[in-house]
Amino acid sequence: MATNRARRRGSETVRGLVVGVAGLMLAVLGGTGAGAQERPRYGGELVFVVPTEPASYDGHREGTFALVHPVAPIYNTLLRFDPTDRTGTRVVGDLAESWTIARDGRTYTFRLRRGVKFHDGSDLTSKDVKASYDKIIFPPSGVISFRKGQYTAVEAVEAPDAATVVFRLKWPSASLITALASPFNWIYRADILAKDVHWYETHVMGTGPFIFVEHVKGAYWAARKNPNYWDKGKPYLDGYRALVVKDANAQVAAVRAERAHIQFRGFTPSERDSLVQALGAKIAVQESPWDCVLLVGMNHEKKPWDDKRARRALTLALDRHQGSQALSRIAIVKSVGGVQVPGTPFAAPPEELEKLAGYSHDVAKSRAEARRLLTEAGVPEGFSFSLKNRNVPMPYEPIAVWLVDQWRQVGLQARHEFIESTKWEADLRNGEYEVAVDTQCSYAVDPDLDLYKFQSMGISHNNYGRYTDTVLDELYQKQSRALDPDERKKYVREFERRLLDEEAHYAYTLQWHRIIPHSAKVRGWTITPSHFVNNQLDTVWLAE
Amino acid sequence: MGKYILKRLLLMIPTLLGVAVIIFFLMRVVPGDIVELRFAGESSFASKENLDKERVRLGLDQPLWRQFLAWITGIVRLDFGKSMWTGAPILEEIRLRFALSLQLAIMATLIAVLLAIPLGVIAALKQDTWVDYVVRIVSIAGLATPSFWLGIVFILGLLIVFKWLPPMVYTPLWVDPWQNLLQLIWPALAVGYRYSAVATRMTRSAMLEVLREDYIRTARAKGLWEKLILSRHALKNAMLPVLTVIALEFAFLMGGLVVTEQVFNLNGLGLLFVEAVAHRDYTLTQALVMLVAFVFIFVNFLVDLAYAWIDPRIRFR
Repeated sequence: MATNRARRRGSETVRGLVVGVAGLMLAVLGGTGAGAQERPRYGGELVFVVPTEPASYDGHREGTFALVHPVAPIYNTLLRFDPTDRTGTRVVGDLAESWTIARDGRTYTFRLRRGVKFHDGSDLTSKDVKASYDKIIFPPSGVISFRKGQYTAVEAVEAPDAATVVFRLKWPSASLITALASPFNWIYRADILAKDVHWYETHVMGTGPFIFVEHVKGAYWAARKNPNYWDKGKPYLDGYRALVVKDANAQVAAVRAERAHIQFRGFTPSERDSLVQALGAKIAVQESPWDCVLLVGMNHEKKPWDDKRARRALTLALDRHQGSQALSRIAIVKSVGGVQVPGTPFAAPPEELEKLAGYSHDVAKSRAEARRLLTEAGVPEGFSFSLKNRNVPMPYEPIAVWLVDQWRQVGLQARHEFIESTKWEADLRNGEYEVAVDTQCSYAVDPDLDLYKFQSMGISHNNYGRYTDTVLDELYQKQSRALDPDERKKYVREFERRLLDEEAHYAYTLQWHRIIPHSAKVRGWTITPSHFVNNQLDTVWLAE
Repeated sequence: MGKYILKRLLLMIPTLLGVAVIIFFLMRVVPGDIVELRFAGESSFASKENLDKERVRLGLDQPLWRQFLAWITGIVRLDFGKSMWTGAPILEEIRLRFALSLQLAIMATLIAVLLAIPLGVIAALKQDTWVDYVVRIVSIAGLATPSFWLGIVFILGLLIVFKWLPPMVYTPLWVDPWQNLLQLIWPALAVGYRYSAVATRMTRSAMLEVLREDYIRTARAKGLWEKLILSRHALKNAMLPVLTVIALEFAFLMGGLVVTEQVFNLNGLGLLFVEAVAHRDYTLTQALVMLVAFVFIFVNFLVDLAYAWIDPRIRFR
């Protein structure tokens, strides 16, 4: 009897695992590919989970996904990232039907779509685009623009006629097109901004595929289909509801109980596995490298981290390839990458990464080199230092534990200080640390966005390494102005080599890994490396 | 009695003022500030210029005494101001969550009272019998079991056995009583069980003490009917400490169910409190502390009135 029960339990476990693994493989390999070939079905309400809430409704002043996920479908942007592109780097028109770039790279002319209406019935014209971008790039006194710094190349925005917008630049910019596809740069009504520039902080009204219904703070957001949407035939959904669920376990439970179809930010590997095991074929999983990474910040104003030999030793001690295998089972990290998300246009190929300090497969050799450098720099065996870390468990805690172990293997003793987020942020900003876990996360994969942080202190607002490196600053400018992608790639490689190898100002750990298990009913949504991108929901539909 | 009530009401003022001073300055001592937090999120490009602008907008560039004065004069006019994080009026932020927290507190209290008083009385009457032992085991288990843990067990049980989860969005009682009950009965049971454990033990010990009093012996010697002795003489006197425990627990439930609210995804005051502190939302935290302090003081005031009503000696003291 007991044997039979055990056998039955064993076979159930095996069956569960087979179903789970098969479901996972199908989902990961297939993604929404199958969905793309099917005919979209109209109707239904998409229910998704958002883990937190924004402070205001104004995309121009906020920087959180908590605003983009529930509110992006209400708006359009001038350009957008192609919703079918897994790299999240291919830009297509949203309100712009087409555009041209002058030969000198300093004038961008956008032709707007005709017949676009705001949800209040008024027509969208180039004045609205100009007013929105003027607010972002040249905010009036008392108005905060979160991403103003990304548009320093822009001299003026003009609206020569109702359907044309012109951006005049002071110098050529390789990233302007990407910056204009920012998921935060919603187009507002010029008349409203003229009357009250703060109106959009507390109101939601755009031209997007969905019309705002209500936001009950701490509970949910609701929106309904825009029947007069300019992209005829879209959207497919009747509406959507974004449930505010702050607890991670409650988020998983919501998907598991089919109270929500999806959570667009990401789950952990164990949460994915539990959902796949519980729901089998009812769940699909999409995964992607994530444009977020934890870094090792070394305070250049504190000894011995003012010596690049000591800094190099810290990065040489890391066995990233083994770390990737072990940590990807328990944490939201996976790929070994440089300054760009692996697999995206400006990322270093593996053979080039291998040449950087700490990226070699020959770990014994790297660690021997680390020990030699430490001796040369006068750092004694058993040298102890503090590693300040943010008290956010995932993935900060496992990464820090891994770092402490890696450094112990070259004779360094790191004391892990797991401190409250606000204190951690303040300590990093004020330089009150020796070594710290720092972070870099962008809304889109683009060298301008991803490298900005690493420019000299004073230029970058969040260079917590507290160094000045004019060579790096110059390389940043060069890549930023190189309109030829190959030339830009070359400068990005040079930047990467200097940042991570020659000067070892910062050490990259492992690329975050985005895991989205969702109801298999959800179709027409493609994961990208950014959790800020691809949330307009116009292409999303629900299968029966 | 009128003089007694007035005296108690007047005593509330210095207490609330003391709380106001402590919370205002305590919030300023905590490291980190709202502006850094607000603009240091993912994909941050916060410049010093932006941070300074925001500090001026929120009035954080003003000297502390001026900030305190502005806040306290607002309170006197019952104007709690706006949340520094969302910019929404604080009364609106609280109003959204108040109904849920109040209803949950009332439901948990009802469950606790309905369980605790009969069980406590029975345990006292059947002291040292198997009935008493069972009641004591159940109540000790309740004390040892955190409400949120019991909540997780409920959630997992419902999910695994019935593949069902309580509704995740609050529906007011007057809109759809059934949906409302489906959502709130589980947290009310989880919280009510622990709450009843405290009250059961208090009822039992208070009853045991009263049952040994001379006036009970006298009543029995006079040949009074046992049920009458229990209800009119024993229970009424035993209720004094029980009432205090129930009232204090009720006040605690109004803002203290942080983890339980998280587990059941309830949009209540507890979660709002935690978020306000985490965001360093000074104005909202201060208002919530004042609200909870007021609830505690007011509930205590009601308990004191009840004491005075139950035991006339108190009001003449």
